[in-house]
Amino acid sequence: MSANTQFPLCQLPIGATGRVCHLAGDDSFCQRVREMGFGEAALVTKISGTTTSLCLVNGTRIALNHSAAMSIVVEPIPVLGQVSGLREKR
Amino acid sequence: MKLPSHITSTARRRAESASDRTPIYAMVGNPNSGKTTLFNALTGLRQKVGNYPGVTVEKKIGTTWSQHGKPIQVIDLPGAYSLAARSPDEAVLRDVLFGRREDTPQPDRIICVVDAANLERNLYLVHQILDLGRPVIVALNMMDMAAAAGLKVDAAALERALGVPVIPCEAVHGKGLVGLRLAMSRVELPLARHRWDVPAAVAPAVAELQASLTDNEGRAPLVARAEALLLLTDFDTVRVAGSRPLSARTHEILGNWRQRWESAGTDWAATLIRSRYDSIGGLCQDVVVRTREQGPSRSDRIDAVLCHSFWGWVVFGAIMTALLFSIFSLAEGPMDWIESQTTALKGLVNGAMAAGDLRALLTEGIIGGVGPIIKFLPQILILFFFVGLLENTGYMARAAFIMDRPMSKVGLNGRSFIPLLGSYACAIPGIMATRTIENAKDRLVTILVAPLMSCSARLPVYLLMIATLLPGDAVSAGKKAGLMLLMYALGTFGAFGFAWLFKRTLFKSAPPHMIMELPPYQPPRLREILRQMLGRAWLFLKNAGTIILAISIVLWALTTYPKHPDPAATPTEQIAHSFAGQAGHLLEPVIKPLGFDWRIGIGLITSFAAREVFVSSMGVIFGVAGADENPTPLRDALRAARWPDGAPLFTPLVCLVLMIYYVFAMQCMSTVAVVKRETNSWRWPLFQIFYMTGTAWLFCFVVYQMGRSLGY
Repeated sequence: MSANTQFPLCQLPIGATGRVCHLAGDDSFCQRVREMGFGEAALVTKISGTTTSLCLVNGTRIALNHSAAMSIVVEPIPVLGQVSGLREKR
Repeated sequence: MKLPSHITSTARRRAESASDRTPIYAMVGNPNSGKTTLFNALTGLRQKVGNYPGVTVEKKIGTTWSQHGKPIQVIDLPGAYSLAARSPDEAVLRDVLFGRREDTPQPDRIICVVDAANLERNLYLVHQILDLGRPVIVALNMMDMAAAAGLKVDAAALERALGVPVIPCEAVHGKGLVGLRLAMSRVELPLARHRWDVPAAVAPAVAELQASLTDNEGRAPLVARAEALLLLTDFDTVRVAGSRPLSARTHEILGNWRQRWESAGTDWAATLIRSRYDSIGGLCQDVVVRTREQGPSRSDRIDAVLCHSFWGWVVFGAIMTALLFSIFSLAEGPMDWIESQTTALKGLVNGAMAAGDLRALLTEGIIGGVGPIIKFLPQILILFFFVGLLENTGYMARAAFIMDRPMSKVGLNGRSFIPLLGSYACAIPGIMATRTIENAKDRLVTILVAPLMSCSARLPVYLLMIATLLPGDAVSAGKKAGLMLLMYALGTFGAFGFAWLFKRTLFKSAPPHMIMELPPYQPPRLREILRQMLGRAWLFLKNAGTIILAISIVLWALTTYPKHPDPAATPTEQIAHSFAGQAGHLLEPVIKPLGFDWRIGIGLITSFAAREVFVSSMGVIFGVAGADENPTPLRDALRAARWPDGAPLFTPLVCLVLMIYYVFAMQCMSTVAVVKRETNSWRWPLFQIFYMTGTAWLFCFVVYQMGRSLGY
């Protein structure tokens, strides 16, 4: 996907799902975000919020303030398929 | 072969002491994994709550029993997402597990509490702990919530994959405790068989650090490897008092590798985290099955209202109003009762003992000093009950989420809100509540500004000054309430203003990043809330009560000695002759530009014990008994007070200035003591006294001089 479809998480529309492309904050913040399973390639669904965002990552609701949401760059994906790390029951 | 008796007896003694020694389990887990609920379920009331020396992290140790009736000690360590510490709480967890703390023995075994509904993220910490090569039991908690979320977690498959016991449980409902206790009773626990591949490029750095940690820090090889991996991902590590520092050689090796990676532009820390998650992802593929697609959960539906841009604020406002109303109204009765008991106790001592210094020390110094602090206990209990209720149900994280936007205007984040709100009741619990703030600078700024929120100890001073300023029934209650509200607003704006200033000067940093997990909503567990409330209240009494007792005795001595040469001297003459009286005279040149004389100066000095002491000091100085109970005669005495030239002392302007002084000045030794404890230094409480009292003087000077020039 081209770089111009990437934008900060705060700009992801409510209800949309995106994939984390890269983290732009300081080392400490990036590491914490990755350790919480919110690192590159994680799928994130925006539940609500514009300045303070409420998101769903791997089944966990996570709140981020504006500066944190600005530091997480995502690319939108059309439909949420398979949740990372889990297999569907046949 | 028969061994010599001294060898067999030593071996026997060692074996006996090892089996007799109470095994120590550490309980670890992510925040919101139900770790503390499980700890409470296992240990019941057999808990000791204290602090790790040198840091203000709560240390909870409990005792449970093995299936053979032998005691087992359990340490409830603070919740963390990773062993890479970002806050003092997480640093304590890391240091206890690595055996870096002098004050806490390294645990023999570790219980990892895991939220089954968020297995992948929770396994990250477990994965790091398994690297330590120590016996581990995984408590797969919240199995009911996982099922409700449409997840089927195969505990047996996870046990096979990890090689350590995995016990499914629901701590809230007491399910799985027998299985956990049985696993804890096992003489031998298997070591983890799960291994993961460290990226090849990082392996030399791990090997070199591991060797240094083994040689220079005396670590066991597996612990050294785990610590080496941690050090390589731990760029902004938190060190806390009481932790053993790393050796110079290890520091040097670490520095060299970081430099090498930085110049190569490679982010190996991210690579290491990714490798772990890849390994965890593989595990989850085998043990978690999604049985159905998850629709909106109950928590999602509640959040749709409570985190709504409009309704969220309405609910938040209602909850905060109920909290403040409870603190100020429900506590009134018990506070009056405590006050009456204090007075009765004073009367009892007065009746039982002959007049003299010892009696005065007991009644005025000890009972009179500690009584005002115990009086605030009902408010503290109510505040902690509400805080416990909000935490327990999961709303607290939402409150921080909602308040984040207004708090960000002054450079803080939503987590600072609850401590500031709590400070309306008393700054001490408010400051203690800052422990949850991850960012050290934000936490310090919150501690520094919290005492500016008008606490309930300021109320008696405000009431007396308003009664003196606006006397009689002719003045409407609305005007009086308006003036009171003005003082509260002044304190609140002051706190936010100083937070804004500090964040742009002393604690300059990029806008804080707040990232916070919102736990699922749960029905409140009253027992847990009450236990937490009582534990915190006891800590409050212990911390503040002991220090205030010592300083009360000192203040009493300062107002009692030296004795007036005339034995028939009135209390007013005695206090004027005392060290405090002399200090009041010495202070007069400094406070005269604010319109205060030496008698008000004595009140300012004595009320450093607690702000409301100002009222009783004025009672003593102006010869009015029982000033605390009935302010009316004191009000008249104050209105009659004169300067030596006959001018009235307590003009409306002076009353207003005095209230402003109490809004801003740091007049509370308990708060000073608690700030010292929380910041582990005298630097910040001294700075706080300087900036708050300095602001109070400056503000009062401007208002008084302007008022005078306008003819008031």
